[in-house]
Amino acid sequence: MLFNLAKKNTLIVEDFAEFARSVRAMVYAMGATQVDIVYNAEDAIEACKARKYDIILSDYNLGPKKDGQQLLEELSKYHLLKSNCVFLMLTAENTSAMVMGAVEYQPDSYIAKPFTGNLLKSRLQKSIEKKDALLPISRSINNKKWQEALEHIQQVIELHPKYRMSCLRSHYEALKQLNKLDKALELVTQIVSQRSIPWAMLAVGEIYYLKNEFDKAIDIFRNMTKEFPMTLVGYDWLAKVQQKVGQPIDAQSTLVKAIEKSPKALQRQKDLGALAEQNNDLDAMTKAYRSAVKYSANSAFSSPDEYIKLTTALSQQIAQDPDISSDRIINEAELVFEQLDKTFITSSAARLRSSVAHAAFCKVSNEEEKQQKYLEMAEKRFQEFDEQLPAETSLELSTSLKDMGKLELAEEIISEAIQQNIDDQDFIQKASKLTSNQDLIKTSKQASQHNNKAIGNFKNKKYQAAIEHFDRAYKLTPNNINVSLNYVQSLLKQGQIDNNPINVIQLADKILTEMPQLAFSDVRYARYSELNRLTQLMLQKDT
Amino acid sequence: MQDKKDESFNMVLASTVHDMKNSLGMLGESLKVIFQQIDPDIMNKATSNSYGVVQYEVSRVNNSLMQLLALYKLENNQLPFNPNYYNLFDFLDEQRLIHSPLLKAKNIECKLKVDEDLEGFFDDGLLATVLENIIGNAIRYTQSTICISCSQSQPLQIKIADDGPGYPEQMIELAGNYIQGINQSSGSTGLGLFFAQKIAIMHKHKDKVGKIQLSNGGQLGGGIFCIQLP
Repeated sequence: MLFNLAKKNTLIVEDFAEFARSVRAMVYAMGATQVDIVYNAEDAIEACKARKYDIILSDYNLGPKKDGQQLLEELSKYHLLKSNCVFLMLTAENTSAMVMGAVEYQPDSYIAKPFTGNLLKSRLQKSIEKKDALLPISRSINNKKWQEALEHIQQVIELHPKYRMSCLRSHYEALKQLNKLDKALELVTQIVSQRSIPWAMLAVGEIYYLKNEFDKAIDIFRNMTKEFPMTLVGYDWLAKVQQKVGQPIDAQSTLVKAIEKSPKALQRQKDLGALAEQNNDLDAMTKAYRSAVKYSANSAFSSPDEYIKLTTALSQQIAQDPDISSDRIINEAELVFEQLDKTFITSSAARLRSSVAHAAFCKVSNEEEKQQKYLEMAEKRFQEFDEQLPAETSLELSTSLKDMGKLELAEEIISEAIQQNIDDQDFIQKASKLTSNQDLIKTSKQASQHNNKAIGNFKNKKYQAAIEHFDRAYKLTPNNINVSLNYVQSLLKQGQIDNNPINVIQLADKILTEMPQLAFSDVRYARYSELNRLTQLMLQKDT
Repeated sequence: MQDKKDESFNMVLASTVHDMKNSLGMLGESLKVIFQQIDPDIMNKATSNSYGVVQYEVSRVNNSLMQLLALYKLENNQLPFNPNYYNLFDFLDEQRLIHSPLLKAKNIECKLKVDEDLEGFFDDGLLATVLENIIGNAIRYTQSTICISCSQSQPLQIKIADDGPGYPEQMIELAGNYIQGINQSSGSTGLGLFFAQKIAIMHKHKDKVGKIQLSNGGQLGGGIFCIQLP
């Protein structure tokens, strides 16, 4: 069979230079001409930004930082892979990575080291064949065209019965995305009734969860942890449902079982910490966040959360037990703050959170001077802060500042957050307990109603009605970024219909100019920048 | 405290095995480089055979390490089991491919008798480790031919037959109790069969459990290894 890699771009990710060269020699022997080698996941991500690879051969163990699975996840999430890119995971033992069998992002194949060129060639050949056969499906899925994906799935199953199982997994995903839950359930239930396959069992439980049939979800996830005790994602789901039905103590012990089998999972440690906090199990909370901070250091998914939570747990240790050796705990906390500041040195939000949490810690440890120092620092950092704080962070800061008697700053932070998050009912409810300004809660609720009405009108192409409601929402919460952007979008739409009346476009321009500044990293930045570009274009046309 | 001890032993064992496997890999790579530097004109059959032997022994040690690690994890309920549907022709063809350098060097024919559309349900990583060992042993004991065959998928039956002297009678009688077959003086295949047995048992369906069977005879007249998975 003709098999040649001459036209394929290949990337080898392997921390052992000798192995990398040996693998390169193998792909050269298959006719490859364009082969790049990198020695860690971080460089692999950069390489994938610079060039679109057809083949990626990645070791699973990539030294102290990200592993091959994390690399694959990141590349998939950031859309750095071509739809038909073949990703082979090279593993040291052929069972280690299999524990990943039910995770969302799967490599095309696992290949156990050491291997010969012949075996690699056979795997590549088969993976490329399969990927090409499934290409219409993966393209539709990448473009989130689920209905189209369903049509391709039927065609591919008929043409290539060999790839039936992969097709069925995509079929399930598409049905779930289209919210056809009953059909999705029927599909995976049938698969599971024939054979216990981890991904399909998870899928059954997930659909029960989405359908709010929690008891059935618990049953299937519990069976799964019995039948496949090493498929850890089953424990995560079980804990999630147990938490949902008000069994946080069971949820905590479920996660403990998973962590005993594999402690190095950052998210799981954080989930455990949150559960322990809810259960007032201070020792378990401290232990979990300690581990989270430890594994956070090398993870792509690290965040300031685990550091702040650990210092909270440590301060509670001091508060609850007056006999505890507080010097040791203070030292540990100081170290955590130091690490936090060092790790997130470029994030002004993280620095702000760090100084508030540090002050809160000093309050408990009775270090008054230090507490004042960090409060002043917090105030300074807040004045310099020109981005949008996430709702959760605003609650954290405001609660803590209020507790320390900094009422003005606490109010300022929560008020801004209320205006920005009028649609987040859960948040508004929590915020209303913190703020003394109940009028603001009322106006934000009114603004949210107008915003929702306006969105409905916009969807039905009633742009004039949409403008009226957006205008009222805007006047109630002039700083709200979503409302501002929505308002501008409907003004531009109406402007196009009415052939650009100058007053409408000028109003759009005014709203955009007066809107609070958006950080480049904000998910809404792209939308803002596009609306601004259109506005400027229409203004120029007019003059 | 007991848990803590197990956990650290587990980690030491796993990292040592990985380290040994890495060393083995390097050894194999370096020998390959040396071998490639030998001028083909002065290469004689003995050198070529020696290289084949080294390759075979390296992969044998590697396979044994994988089995040991898997058995250790199995004892501690930490061996992942992730079954799925696989095309049997593709899967078994690959098992043959893994041994192709040695088959070529020893001039052994390895037949594959599998229907191209046959599909089976199993953990491919674990079954591959089992078969790598069994095929390796077949190569060691056969005269000239090995046959890998699979004729049905419910229950799945994979057979490895050779034209060697066959399994010793007392080994066949051990059926299901292969740990006793480990015999240091004969360098017996006890580990491989013990491991195969354990992996077969992990495969369950409804009330049926997997098993292995040894026999002699058949078309090739030598040993026949059969793994049956429900």
